[in-house]
Amino acid sequence: MKVYRIAYLGSDNEAVLGLETALKGDGLQFMSAGADYQGMQQAVDFNADVLLWDKENLPPDAAIPVEELRKAGLSRQPIVVVLAADDIEGAVKSLAGGAVDFMFKPMREDPLPRIIAALNTGAKQRRIDWCNRVIEDTNDQVRGILATLADPAYIVSPEYQILWMNRAAEEIFGEGQRGGACHHIFYDRTEPCEVCAKTRGSARWRATLKNGKSYRFISAVMRNSRGEVEKLAVGTDITPDQEVSKIHKTFIANVSHDLRTPLAAIDQYVSILLDGLAGELTEDQANYIDVIRRSSFRLHNLIENLIDANKILSGDYKLTMEVVEVSDIVAVVHDRLQSQAADKGITMQVQVADGLPPVYADKSRIAQVIANLAGNSIKFTEQGMLQIRAGFMPRDEGRVIVSVEDTGIGVPKEDLGKIFDLFYRVEKDKVYVEEGAGLGLAISREIIRAHGGTLWAESMEGMGSAFHFSIPSYQGQAAVR
Amino acid sequence: MADGERSLILVADDDKDLVMAMSIRLKAAGYDIITAHDGEGAYEQASQNKPDLIILDVRMPSGGGFSSIDRMKHSLNTRNIPVIFLTAFDDEEMREEGRKLGAVGFFRKPFNDDEFMAAIAGVLEHKGGGHGGF
Repeated sequence: MKVYRIAYLGSDNEAVLGLETALKGDGLQFMSAGADYQGMQQAVDFNADVLLWDKENLPPDAAIPVEELRKAGLSRQPIVVVLAADDIEGAVKSLAGGAVDFMFKPMREDPLPRIIAALNTGAKQRRIDWCNRVIEDTNDQVRGILATLADPAYIVSPEYQILWMNRAAEEIFGEGQRGGACHHIFYDRTEPCEVCAKTRGSARWRATLKNGKSYRFISAVMRNSRGEVEKLAVGTDITPDQEVSKIHKTFIANVSHDLRTPLAAIDQYVSILLDGLAGELTEDQANYIDVIRRSSFRLHNLIENLIDANKILSGDYKLTMEVVEVSDIVAVVHDRLQSQAADKGITMQVQVADGLPPVYADKSRIAQVIANLAGNSIKFTEQGMLQIRAGFMPRDEGRVIVSVEDTGIGVPKEDLGKIFDLFYRVEKDKVYVEEGAGLGLAISREIIRAHGGTLWAESMEGMGSAFHFSIPSYQGQAAVR
Repeated sequence: MADGERSLILVADDDKDLVMAMSIRLKAAGYDIITAHDGEGAYEQASQNKPDLIILDVRMPSGGGFSSIDRMKHSLNTRNIPVIFLTAFDDEEMREEGRKLGAVGFFRKPFNDDEFMAAIAGVLEHKGGGHGGF
């Protein structure tokens, strides 16, 4: 059986006598000692569960000696203050000062119910204290981790006040900035930044800080122990990435400039010759020069595709979004590829579902994707047909699906998973296709992804292929890059 | 330019082969041609000969096309001569810069011959007010 130990700290013999008599039952042990350090030590040795601290003749505003009790090792025990019957102010102040209850002297009532209540309150308080300690410890650990980050981290209040900064942030903004407005200290602004003013939850943004470096920030919303919402933001230094990307950009710009320059001269001289500006050509001469013209055209296309692929795959491009009808995009592609299909004797069909909603998309980029897919179909189809269909995505009315299907040679099963990889080409003995660098599908997949969509393929070797992509319709439009 | 007179076009590009080809094409189309191969030369030719149109490469030695047009637009002698830029760069910012500096057109190499000749004819017809492919 659990025995509860009650310790009285004071020197009122009458009170001791009364308590001794009242607390005699099984499961209870009582002791009394002076309200001094020695008495407290005795209470510790006694392993007291509850302390009855007699305020004796101290003035009403005398506080419970919390600090001394803690030093003696009595910080977890609930304290019931024992005081003179007229010391109302003392009772109120003791409760405010940490006592869980009080008893007036002389004790006319049975003190046991109040002691049991105090034990219960003490147990509850210990649980709360334990939880708070865990929270504090966890907070300390989290801040410890954040403090040691090489990247800046800080916590701000909903009023944009800096509550905490780690060492890396202090190295950028200086120490002692706690309490200041983040937008002012970080960015010299008088008003909150747009990203904070417009977003309630977690956010991402890029910023150049006072040290001249560029950072990508991610913020998370946290609730502190008082239930207040705070924002933790951690930045990652992206300056080296940006420098590399700048060098890469300049390199590509210069290389593409130098690749295009001689093409301009080739084109000019070819047309001078073909137009007879350098004299009449024999039929053979005209034919040969036409080969140069076509080769130059192919080379030009290849260069432009490589540059475009580089832009798209490195994310260095912008979508020009607009509300556009899918039928308009499909019609553009149909016009562009009609003669190419006809040259190979392939029938090209277009079918757009009735009532199909518009999409919010970059018209020319989506046309580029459909043209890529349809161009592949023409390339890999010797006879039969090519069909471009647009309709509602099954089981998802918020999306539009566009399919490009052909009766061509199809894609072998083992290649189906790889055809969207950059530079991947299906090697086939039977069919030699000289054009294509393995860029089209990789580019197409990136463009569709940037529209918040998916591109996938179905095929059976020898039976044809079907490429599909789905993108959100205008009503169902979610965020895009 | 009086009626019946041939328009004078300055072609400035450091690619001499291309300049020669364009000269052949433009002469065949009935224009008179003067040429330059760097920024300094382009400005001098423009100041001395006051052509009706200037076709200007962006990247050239001794001051590229941008600094040439800037000087021309600040000189009373040359400020009203329409300029069409021609470059192998594909850069939206560059195009915008060209427009701000007062060019009436911007073509990327290699260019479509028909569109280019049409732009030249258009600009010469409404000198200064036409557009050449922006």
